Amino acid sequence: MSNTTAMIFGLNKYALEIESNVKSRYDSVKIYAFEGQKVSGKSIQTEKFDLSDDWLSIEESIDVENSIAFCVLEDSAENIFLTISLRAHFKDLIIIAIASNNESANKLKMSGANKVIPIVETTADIIANVLEKPISNRVLHSILYEESDLKIEQVRVSDASYFHDKMIADIDWSRYKGIVILSVMHEDMSHEFIYASKLNSHIIKEGDILVVVGFEYDIVQFKKHIGSL
Amino acid sequence: MLRRLILDSAYTLQTSKTYQARKRFFYNLLENDQYKYKKYIDILMITLIFISVGVLIREVKHPVNDYLLYFSNYVVSIVFFIEYLFRLWVHSSVSEVIVKRSEHDSFLGCEVRLSKAFQEVFRIKLNYMLSVRAIIDLLAILPFFHELRLLRTFILFRVFKLFRYAKSFQTLAGVLATKKFEFITLSMFASIVIFVSSVLIYVMEANNPSSPVNTLFEAVYWSIVTISTVGYGDVTPVTPEGRIVAMIVITSGIAVLAFTTSLVVSAFTEKLDEIKEVKNIEDITKLRNYYLICGYESIAKELARKLAKSSHKIIVLDEDARRVASARHDGYIAMHYSPGSIESYEKLQIDISKQVKAVLCLREDDVENVYTALTIRSIDKEVFILSLLMKDSNRKKLEFAGINHIVYPQELVGLITKELVGKPAAFEVIHQFRSEYTNVDIDEIMLTPRIVQNFPTIGDLHNKRYKVIILGVSKGNSDKFYFNPIDSTLLETGDYLLVVGYKAFIAEFETSLHAKVFDV
Repeated sequence: MSNTTAMIFGLNKYALEIESNVKSRYDSVKIYAFEGQKVSGKSIQTEKFDLSDDWLSIEESIDVENSIAFCVLEDSAENIFLTISLRAHFKDLIIIAIASNNESANKLKMSGANKVIPIVETTADIIANVLEKPISNRVLHSILYEESDLKIEQVRVSDASYFHDKMIADIDWSRYKGIVILSVMHEDMSHEFIYASKLNSHIIKEGDILVVVGFEYDIVQFKKHIGSL
Repeated sequence: MLRRLILDSAYTLQTSKTYQARKRFFYNLLENDQYKYKKYIDILMITLIFISVGVLIREVKHPVNDYLLYFSNYVVSIVFFIEYLFRLWVHSSVSEVIVKRSEHDSFLGCEVRLSKAFQEVFRIKLNYMLSVRAIIDLLAILPFFHELRLLRTFILFRVFKLFRYAKSFQTLAGVLATKKFEFITLSMFASIVIFVSSVLIYVMEANNPSSPVNTLFEAVYWSIVTISTVGYGDVTPVTPEGRIVAMIVITSGIAVLAFTTSLVVSAFTEKLDEIKEVKNIEDITKLRNYYLICGYESIAKELARKLAKSSHKIIVLDEDARRVASARHDGYIAMHYSPGSIESYEKLQIDISKQVKAVLCLREDDVENVYTALTIRSIDKEVFILSLLMKDSNRKKLEFAGINHIVYPQELVGLITKELVGKPAAFEVIHQFRSEYTNVDIDEIMLTPRIVQNFPTIGDLHNKRYKVIILGVSKGNSDKFYFNPIDSTLLETGDYLLVVGYKAFIAEFETSLHAKVFDV
């Protein structure tokens, strides 16, 4: 039986924020800190590690294939080194790393991180959206972080007959049965916007994953139709 | 009776809004560099000056068209005369002086002494008329009496009027004025050398028949030509004594020239930053609808780049010289002033309510951001303030300081990771809408009366035709968002459509909304 673990490397404000946000999704969350590393005013249980580790203890104690690693060391060089050493040892581990800027983000991607969050760029993006597109920012924020009844979901198509073998281009995806279908996800996790020309001749088939926005009831109904429930 | 009439007139003018508004208008037009229409008057005057000088030059050796002469001598002179009168009028207020005198005397319980008031008025106006600028203005009018040949050359005084209109001349004069003491010392030295050498050369050379120096005037002329290092060579000393004097004057001349050059250079070097700052302040006062970025650190840097890319105007304020230099290097108007000081906004003449779109407190330090926000709030209660939050424990303090929107990067990272591990594809889709590096975008389209008239309902928009998705409508009057509205939903002016699609298609869709549609 798989045992999912979120491993957070680094003990700082980002580590704690990530821990509180992901702990409900994993069987266990472990924070790995350097020897002597502390967060002021808090007593946090941590595992010790250093960059010269050979990761044998992790390999033995954690179901790496079903786990995820967050590299959140504040020193960019150390964070890159940590990412590259984890990738070198664990080929299939999902690694998410934070970067202080785009330059570090590129290096982290080159080091094998599956996803990099460039803090400065992301924060600036959010602020620019607040200033330039306040309404869309509010709506997207409420959809993404479930602050309203609207939800965004990934829905797997199990019964493609619902679409009657129609091509994507022939279906009116706007205002579709109470929900809005935004994109289609490929097997490699990449996705295409629903009106992308690449999808024009694509016939919806079983296994396709649709990214939809809607109210919970409508999404449930849609899932029923396509055999996802 | 006359006294009563004068006093009544003065009070009427002083309290008349129309009169005061007109006077202020003319003042702005002639004297206020920040007034947007002043430049047109300046350009007109500069053009007239060049026409006059052009006619004068042409007239020396060529016949000039009578109309052009008439224009130069009369029309331009009359325009300058009217300008002179307007300047005299707006320089000070006669009615204000009379009213003040009246109130002063009434307060003391004595009869209003109008003679004193008129003396004061006369003194103030005379002070203006005797100023260098006013004298030049007056002399520029004199070519009106062009029959007197001498007065025709007064056209050249019109050139001096350029000082009034060209800001750079005023800057030059201002810079040189800072070295007034040094220039006076230098002039004294040069004058003494010229005087002594002139007398010496006259004494040594005047009695020598082969010497070209025969008069004291020629001696002074030689002395000035030599000390200035020009040395025409038309007048030269021939006696050994005269040549010794020449050597001393030449040496002194080099010193005078070097000293003058170094004075001018050092004056400009010392004033360069100040000149640039004055220029920047002038630029800022002319700007409208800009984002005021307080603190230029990493997030501010990135945000500034994004805003500038979207053609937004931004001004950076920071108390750290290195960060200011960095912002300037990045091509923004950046001022080395503390964003937490009211004095900064006064010095920069920033009218927050009229000029600033939003204040962005982007120091990566909560204490500084709270301080700045409170300063801004003490100046303006309404302006939108956005601030970074670095420690969640300080959130309430930022809210208490009146900040409208708080951005907490740490929380963002947490939320993003939550979505990334839960719904990676959904996160990627939303991220795509927000990122500037993708072709898919979400846009807000405000509905104008014209759009609503042409497209009264959602169904009329025919968005599928343009391959865009209408995510919803935000009602302008209630701030409510209606997700995925049905075709019969009525649209109203001021509503916002949230449209998702490829940028090019959204642009096309928006264009179609603004176009008049006859048959949908």
